[in-house]
Amino acid sequence: MTRNPLATVLTHFAAFLLALASMCAKAESVHVRIVYVGDESRTAYIGAKQGLNEANHQGQFLGQSYSLELASLEALIPGNESNYSAVIAALDAEQLLALSAALPNTPIMNVTAEDDSLREGCTTNLFHVIPTRRMKADAVSQWQQKHPDADVTAQAWHPDFELYAGRELNNRFRKANGIAMDDNAWAGWAAVKMLSDTVAREGLTDPKQLRTYFSERLRFDGQKGLELSFRDTGQLRQPLLIVEDGKLLGEAPVRGVVDTTHLDSLGLVNCPK
Amino acid sequence: MRFFVSSVIFALGFCGQIAAAEPTHRVFVTNEKANTVSVIETRTNKVEATIDVGKRPRGIGLAPDGNELYVAVSEENAIAVIDPKTLEVLRKFKAGSDPEAFAVHPNGNIYISNEDDAKTSVYDPKTGDELLAIPVGLEPEGVGISPDGSLVIVTSESANMLHLISVPEHAMVANIVVGARPRSVTFSRDGKTAYATSEVSGDVTEVDLATNKIIKKVSLDAIDQAKPKDIVLGKDGKTLYVAGGRAAKVIVLDAKTLEIKTAIPVGKRVWGLSLSRDGRHLYTTNGVSNTVSVIDTANNQVIATIEVGEAPWGVVIDD
Repeated sequence: MTRNPLATVLTHFAAFLLALASMCAKAESVHVRIVYVGDESRTAYIGAKQGLNEANHQGQFLGQSYSLELASLEALIPGNESNYSAVIAALDAEQLLALSAALPNTPIMNVTAEDDSLREGCTTNLFHVIPTRRMKADAVSQWQQKHPDADVTAQAWHPDFELYAGRELNNRFRKANGIAMDDNAWAGWAAVKMLSDTVAREGLTDPKQLRTYFSERLRFDGQKGLELSFRDTGQLRQPLLIVEDGKLLGEAPVRGVVDTTHLDSLGLVNCPK
Repeated sequence: MRFFVSSVIFALGFCGQIAAAEPTHRVFVTNEKANTVSVIETRTNKVEATIDVGKRPRGIGLAPDGNELYVAVSEENAIAVIDPKTLEVLRKFKAGSDPEAFAVHPNGNIYISNEDDAKTSVYDPKTGDELLAIPVGLEPEGVGISPDGSLVIVTSESANMLHLISVPEHAMVANIVVGARPRSVTFSRDGKTAYATSEVSGDVTEVDLATNKIIKKVSLDAIDQAKPKDIVLGKDGKTLYVAGGRAAKVIVLDAKTLEIKTAIPVGKRVWGLSLSRDGRHLYTTNGVSNTVSVIDTANNQVIATIEVGEAPWGVVIDD
């Protein structure tokens, strides 16, 4: 674009003023440490890094900053709970239970393990961002009540999802990382986003307070249209996407079968007595 | 320096200003999927013309003098300028990446959200020059300007913030975290408070602009499926109208207590709202019904439902 010189001058002045203003507007700074444990080659890690960049983007306006460190399970197991506000875990069920026992007061965000048995255990510091196999099966079964011949699967996310600013999230993820956002990447992103939302809104950084907040009060915009929250089982309530041969067909809860806001129509709702 | 900047901006706004136009008594509606603007005659509530404007028209607004109509054509990364009398598209100017919602300042400049770039840009629509770009949170959306023009509030939908930007300094005076997915902002008549809708958390927040703190928040959960979008203040200054989105209703609030007074059924996915100058008629865009509803604010009844193009989004009245 061609600009007149006056506009250029103004732009420079504005940048200077803004820099000054942002310094003045900033409250005392808060730094939040997050740790990722598990296979770094999984897309969950790329998703978590996307979430980190977005958290820092937001944090620049609020005097908050975030770091995402890497640690091995062996390094975390001794159980020093003062280091991190939350753990992003791409681990299997057995490893998750071991880590949960070692860090009972730290929220551990499960972004890859889909085992229903983990939710049945109702472990108080395990937060399952990724949906379970049973949630997916329930979504498929709802869809098939409407379309009996459909051979579909259910997913947490889809790179063609556009509603509820899904388009914007998919676009910026693809632009930043050169790959499409898949289920694990969405879960990694969402795990960091719900943490940064809570830091921004409530100012909580202490792991134990965050654990309680996630269990009892979190209402989270995962860019799937509805507010998402955790069940007593530790599972994140969420809509799922119905896919056939890689093509996005629709959402569950399935309209016309159940109320579309009835997220508890998918998967185990309460802890087994 | 402040004086310098303010003088320049004042001068830019002042240059080219001509006498206010006679109102055309028309309502202009952007149809996001039809790539058109529907033109409705206010006295008959009939569509009198449809303008081909460009790809994905969304935000819409009038120049302070009423001589020009602006439409954000998002997929062309541009703002189209239309003559409200002749209905001709006069020109288009580039307005950054994915321009969506905007507001026209009393000085004539346009404050616009560039959703994909996390910035708010200021344009002089006379020249098409970008005067400023202000970094804001991810997915900026709604833009509101205080009655005296001294404050611009931009919502960032993904970062859940209201960004308060002073004019003419263009300094970020506060960043306020509100409910999930803030979409639209309006001000009290005296400019002392601002009201913002949050779509995903389904609430309305009132912010005190002396302290920049949240003073009230009301959940719209009592209205089934309420996903609030546009918000406007009634002519009496005592009533707020909120587009309820999926609820397919306009929700009427008491501006003082934020209590829900009533909810008026309109069309599906009601998003856009615009109030007539005399305050008697509220026009709504119903995105999924492809209609505009006209509400008589004296009795909160729908008095007309007008078919427009596919996916009506924004609405503005020249009266």
